[in-house]
Amino acid sequence: MALLAILTASFACSWLINLSLGFSFFARAMLLGGLTAVSAALVLRAVQKNSRKEKAIHRFIEVMAQLDPRELSDNVPHEALPHLKVDNQWYEAAQKLHHRIQENCRRLEDVEHARAGSEVRVRNLEGEHERALGILTALPEPVLAIDDYDELVLTNSSAEELFEIGSVEQSDNRALGSLVRCETLVNLMTDTRKHRTQSQRTGDIVFVDDDGEAKYYRAICRNMFSKVEGEGEDEEPKSTGVVAILNDVSNEKAIQRRNAEFVSSVSHEMKTPLASIKAYVELLADGDAEDEETQDEFLEIINGQADRLQRLIENLLNIARIEAGVVKVKKKAQSLNEVLEEAFNVVQPAAEQKGIELVNAISSIYIGVLADRDMLMQVAINLLSNGIKYTSPRGTVTLKSRLDDDFHAAFEVVDTGVGLSPEDAARVFEKFYRVKKHSNMAPGTGLGLPLAKHITEDVHGGKLTVISELGEGSIFRATLPSAQELNKS
Amino acid sequence: MSKSILLCDDEPHILRAAESKFRRSGFDVRCAYDGEDGWTQIQERLPDIVVTDCQMPRLDGLGMATRIKDDPTLDLPGVMLSAKGFELSPAELEEAYGVLALLAKPFSPRELHRLVEQILETGHATPAPAQHVLDI
Repeated sequence: MALLAILTASFACSWLINLSLGFSFFARAMLLGGLTAVSAALVLRAVQKNSRKEKAIHRFIEVMAQLDPRELSDNVPHEALPHLKVDNQWYEAAQKLHHRIQENCRRLEDVEHARAGSEVRVRNLEGEHERALGILTALPEPVLAIDDYDELVLTNSSAEELFEIGSVEQSDNRALGSLVRCETLVNLMTDTRKHRTQSQRTGDIVFVDDDGEAKYYRAICRNMFSKVEGEGEDEEPKSTGVVAILNDVSNEKAIQRRNAEFVSSVSHEMKTPLASIKAYVELLADGDAEDEETQDEFLEIINGQADRLQRLIENLLNIARIEAGVVKVKKKAQSLNEVLEEAFNVVQPAAEQKGIELVNAISSIYIGVLADRDMLMQVAINLLSNGIKYTSPRGTVTLKSRLDDDFHAAFEVVDTGVGLSPEDAARVFEKFYRVKKHSNMAPGTGLGLPLAKHITEDVHGGKLTVISELGEGSIFRATLPSAQELNKS
Repeated sequence: MSKSILLCDDEPHILRAAESKFRRSGFDVRCAYDGEDGWTQIQERLPDIVVTDCQMPRLDGLGMATRIKDDPTLDLPGVMLSAKGFELSPAELEEAYGVLALLAKPFSPRELHRLVEQILETGHATPAPAQHVLDI
């Protein structure tokens, strides 16, 4: 701009000089001097003007540089920015710069938003990961996972406890084969990985602890698949390893074992009378009964054994019916002592036959109970028979009854028999459980005591307990809510 | 001289049935109610053959068979009755316990008698052909 002014002034001066050729020297000198002064003033003004514009643009850029870029993101010019005149030769460049900064700021804001969103997502994912790990850790089932190189990538605390290994996250050695000392599981997991099918593979594992107690697990192994990002829907998911979940099936195994023992026990109990019946029928058919008296004896035996078989079948059905709740319970107020006396008389012959003294210590006071007579008698008979079975000849079995201070009706069967170890005492009411070392003493199905407990506790709301010492004898105590107590409530 | 037999079973009716069968055939029959009782009777007087139940109180059939086998002075053939199956095959049972025949309960006194007679005559037993499971 200043240059333009100087050039303009120079042209004007040259033209005026040519024009003033006709004037006097003095006049010409005066004119030239005036013109030079005007030109200089013009040049000075132009320079000053340009300098102001430069200052303005300088100031504009300076303020813009000091401002927070985010404040420039609005489309409107920021109030802090100095005004820039349109005639300023930097105006266009300054506007472009301003707009570019605004645009970049908006992009920056978008990036900031995206980053904040990602952070939230990461935090959420971390939370979910922690939660998933928490759930996995809390699972009672041991869980293990391996990658495609048979290295453990995940174990929960149940698995770490079972295999006595540390957390894989803190371990350098992650090789499945060297950490998990169970060949069956290692083979199952590696086989599952090799086959890469979607279906699961299962296998049974047995662990025997230091006490010799076996624990049974059913391992379920599955390949883990993940979709690789960017691949189409039709793409096959990629296998990322194998996860194994171990279900504790020890209880199922124990039930299976007890059922097998029960079936074996019942079949033995049924075969015995059946064997007699078949043998005597054959003897009669072969004419081996030499006289009529022997024939009658054989027929009597056949009849007795058929009755025994019938009783056994009925007992089994009764147990099944009572447990299934099919049998109707007929509770009514009655004398506990009367029921006990009857049960006492029922088992008396068996005690006598074995040479056991059966002692009647039934209370002389009236004890009323609200009970199903037949079921209550079944309990008393079962407890008395049990006492007689597991007491040696010349021992005693005592039946006692009393009314407790808290109005509970109680009766006890006290024997001087073989007694129970604490372990056996804890399990004696389990269905089908028989104390192995005493099972030869008497036949039994392991159902008498569980049935007595079911009737006393589940049907009558009472309690059946045992106090026993090995070699010293046992006390089976049944407590029932008395009629007085029920009236009170 | 009549052949002597010792029968061991804790079930009196089974014992009585077997006793009738063998007595009727002219055997000198003695009975024992468990393995201990049987072992005592063997030591008192040696029978020609022993028929014993497997499951008995005090001393079971296998226990008694083991005592007989372990005594080098005794040469006593045995037949085992059992209401339960055995994990051992008849050959293994003979090898381990010296038991020459195994008869499952319910058993036929006629078949038991045949086996005993066969063992006393030939020193070995040929069991009756087993019934197929599907025939039961």
